[in-house]
Amino acid sequence: MTVDALIRWFQSWTASGGNITFLLILSVILLALPVFLIMAVNALVAVYAERKLSAFMQDRVGPMGQGPGFHAGKWGIFQTVADAIKLLLKEDIIPEAADRKLFILAPYVMFLGAFIALAAVPFNQKLLVADMNIGIFYIVAVGSLSVLGILLAGWASNNKWSLYGAMRSAAQIVSYEIPAALSIIAVILLTGTLSMQGIVQSQAGVIWGFLPNWAVFNNPFTFLAFFIYFISSVAEVNRTPFDIPEAESELVAGFHTEYSGLRWAFFFLSEYANMLVVSAVAVVVFLGGWQSPIAGVMTSAWWGLFWFLGKVTIVILIMIWFRWTFPRLRVDQLMNVCWKVLLPIALLNIFGTGLWSLFIG
Amino acid sequence: MGVIHNDEMVLNIGPQHPSTHGVLRLKVKTDGEIVSDIQPVIGYLHRCFEKHCENLPYEQIIPFVDRCDYIASMNNGFGYVTTVEELMGIQVPERVEYIRIIMAELNRIASHLLALGTFGLDVGAFTPFLYMFRDRERILDLFEITCGARLLYNYMWIGGLSHDLPVGFVESAYEFLDYFEPQLKEYHDLLAYNKIFIERTGDVGVLPPEVAVSYGVTGPNLRGSGVKWDLRKNEPYSIYDRFEFDVPVGEGEMGTVGDCWDRYWVRALEMAQSVKIVRQALDQLPNDGNVHESLPKKVRPPKGSIYQRTETPRGDLGFYIISDGSNVPLRVKMRSPAFTALSVLNEIASGWMLSDILVILGSLDIVLGEIDR
Amino acid sequence: MSKYIVNIWQSVSTLLIGMGITIRHLIRIRKGNVTLQYPKEKWPQPQRKIGFDPKVYNIIRSKLHVDIDDCIGCLKCVRACPVDCITIETLKVPKGTDIGMTSNNTTKRLLVKRFDIDMSECLYCNLCVYPCPEECIYMTGGPNSEKKTIDYEFSKYDRSELLFTFAKITEKEIAELTAEPNELPHADEPGGEA
Repeated sequence: MTVDALIRWFQSWTASGGNITFLLILSVILLALPVFLIMAVNALVAVYAERKLSAFMQDRVGPMGQGPGFHAGKWGIFQTVADAIKLLLKEDIIPEAADRKLFILAPYVMFLGAFIALAAVPFNQKLLVADMNIGIFYIVAVGSLSVLGILLAGWASNNKWSLYGAMRSAAQIVSYEIPAALSIIAVILLTGTLSMQGIVQSQAGVIWGFLPNWAVFNNPFTFLAFFIYFISSVAEVNRTPFDIPEAESELVAGFHTEYSGLRWAFFFLSEYANMLVVSAVAVVVFLGGWQSPIAGVMTSAWWGLFWFLGKVTIVILIMIWFRWTFPRLRVDQLMNVCWKVLLPIALLNIFGTGLWSLFIG
Repeated sequence: MGVIHNDEMVLNIGPQHPSTHGVLRLKVKTDGEIVSDIQPVIGYLHRCFEKHCENLPYEQIIPFVDRCDYIASMNNGFGYVTTVEELMGIQVPERVEYIRIIMAELNRIASHLLALGTFGLDVGAFTPFLYMFRDRERILDLFEITCGARLLYNYMWIGGLSHDLPVGFVESAYEFLDYFEPQLKEYHDLLAYNKIFIERTGDVGVLPPEVAVSYGVTGPNLRGSGVKWDLRKNEPYSIYDRFEFDVPVGEGEMGTVGDCWDRYWVRALEMAQSVKIVRQALDQLPNDGNVHESLPKKVRPPKGSIYQRTETPRGDLGFYIISDGSNVPLRVKMRSPAFTALSVLNEIASGWMLSDILVILGSLDIVLGEIDR
Repeated sequence: MSKYIVNIWQSVSTLLIGMGITIRHLIRIRKGNVTLQYPKEKWPQPQRKIGFDPKVYNIIRSKLHVDIDDCIGCLKCVRACPVDCITIETLKVPKGTDIGMTSNNTTKRLLVKRFDIDMSECLYCNLCVYPCPEECIYMTGGPNSEKKTIDYEFSKYDRSELLFTFAKITEKEIAELTAEPNELPHADEPGGEA
């Protein structure tokens, strides 16, 4: 369901075709609401999963207090709901010396980046807000909008820790965009399209006799490209081992040190939404999007949604797994990994993929 | 026209900061990420320990000694009571000596677990921290069944112990050691051999042996620099000469000798050695003997002074006690190992990045309670 | 170049080992899990028997308690306390007045007018317990653990609520007991020290 389709559907209702501006606004809002809902639900579920999984990895039990169950919530299922309510009710503090306007603006800018990126994510065969012919390019482009929000937050807080976090984050996110984009290009060489749906559709079928024809299995170079993309995407969303912008033991809380309440919740929301976006891109580009793992089986739209969400969940879980295993890299080491390891390999990958598709594929 | 400032920025780390290990404040001059100068500001935990001692009878000082290095109270108490006993010429029974060694070494393991866990936390690894705390908890349980307290024991008394070992302690201790030894390997796999951890700590904050010696750094920090100096071996006090154990020193396995990784590794190996000592002590522990047997009726050391040092998990803990013959010491001076470790921070950490400062600080394993006293 | 490759290989392999460890812990949920749901579950308190009377003494150091009926007002605990958190005021009774016996069959000679323990100052060192000749001051879980429950959780909202008073004797009783036959009954100021 795209915006175009929605407008056309509305137009078919009215004889004259209606006011096109009004219909555009209406259909954009109608489609934006579910996207927001997806973000919110994603944050609630992902935070709960993160807390529970980290607890189990660390021989703890995690949140147990909230929710239904034996003794006042055996599994703490509503813990994140309670957290969200708490955040909504919390006092909103704006520091005296902060740049008030920018301080207020920053969380929404960061939120916006994740929000509009989700517009181009195909959840199944039909469900996406806008099927652009440059979908993946669009996502890569707007995905880096979040760095603007982080910079604004760090600067506006007028706090040295925040500034450090923001500057680190700017360098980090901008650097890691490059290997991420380059590894996507390797796949685009094969698919020949930038459209998200087009990329997914080109991954139908079977390869090597038994494997699904996903880009990650297409050839050794795309296989490597997937890992480069995954590592870069972990860095892009500021998660351990690349969480230096908010490195707790160094920078207290990094760029959002001064934020509290709802504004902080927005940072949190967009952090998890960013995770969703980068995992969705990884799934669409490398893991066959909504394609079923067994070619030709369970291919309806509902199954498509299931496969897509399942794959995204697995990618997010691996990110969580990373976070609770690894120490943190230092700033210069982070840049080393990017410029000296990931970037050369990503460039070689493009070359290799080109050769492969020319001679073998 | 605006002026571009490119001065150094002064950054205040602490006293409330997640990784200053207490209430330490660091005044740090930074040029971007690079730190050019570090001035530790201490005293937030000052409790007038030494002045306090001048007004209290000897036996009442023990609870305060416990509170200096609250991570390793047993070792602190051990140091103090052996000093007073030396001054008074008390010979404690065999059983007391063995129990003291068992307790001190168990507490050394607990202290190192905390040091390594929080060090991992400084580097950004959360999980090893919780594994180590889980195991530390078991040691604290052993202490709890022995003397009723988990952290501040008041267990070592002048001339004896407050309680004898409970029934079943020896078995529980063996059980713990059997459980603990395999855990060490897991810690190493999870943290010490992790490439990111090695990158963060290897070659970082190198403390050359000459600098370490000239600053008076002791304990695992000194041994991490490759100097084989352990009071338990070099100047055996109590009955340490009866046990077989090695003194691990840093060998620069993952970089230069004396880097943060070496300090980490020395502590990790020392835990294995402590396990060895506790095993031997439990094997040799005499069954008879009253722990209250040689408690003096009145603690009135003869006129004179004494300086004695013992090896705590943080290094040489020295007590200088002047007695005027009364039941109250004229002067008690405590030589704190963590203080010298902190004083070397500026020397080894300036020139490194902001993230490294906290790693180096974590590798020195300071306890502010002991520094500020 | 070979160093470069080795470096990457080491990173990948050691990181995978680490991930293996955490996933192993994730899979065996609840094994080796040490968290207790605190208010509902509690750690078993060590029930160690040791001390003066091995039958009834418990090791736990939780809260100081005084069996005021047994107190003879000897002030030994006050002298032993490193932080002076115990305050005792006693009152002489005229010769021949019977104010009872302790459970150790010692004749009491002093009226304990005030026996306050400030638990916010107490450092739980147990030093006051040992000198007591009547074994009437102890950390709960001490000699009379059958009578008193072990109380770790005596948190209060106000610091003044941590001041525990044990003296039970009323002013009227003081007046009666200290009254000389040919003198007017006179009572001291209650709680003389601020």
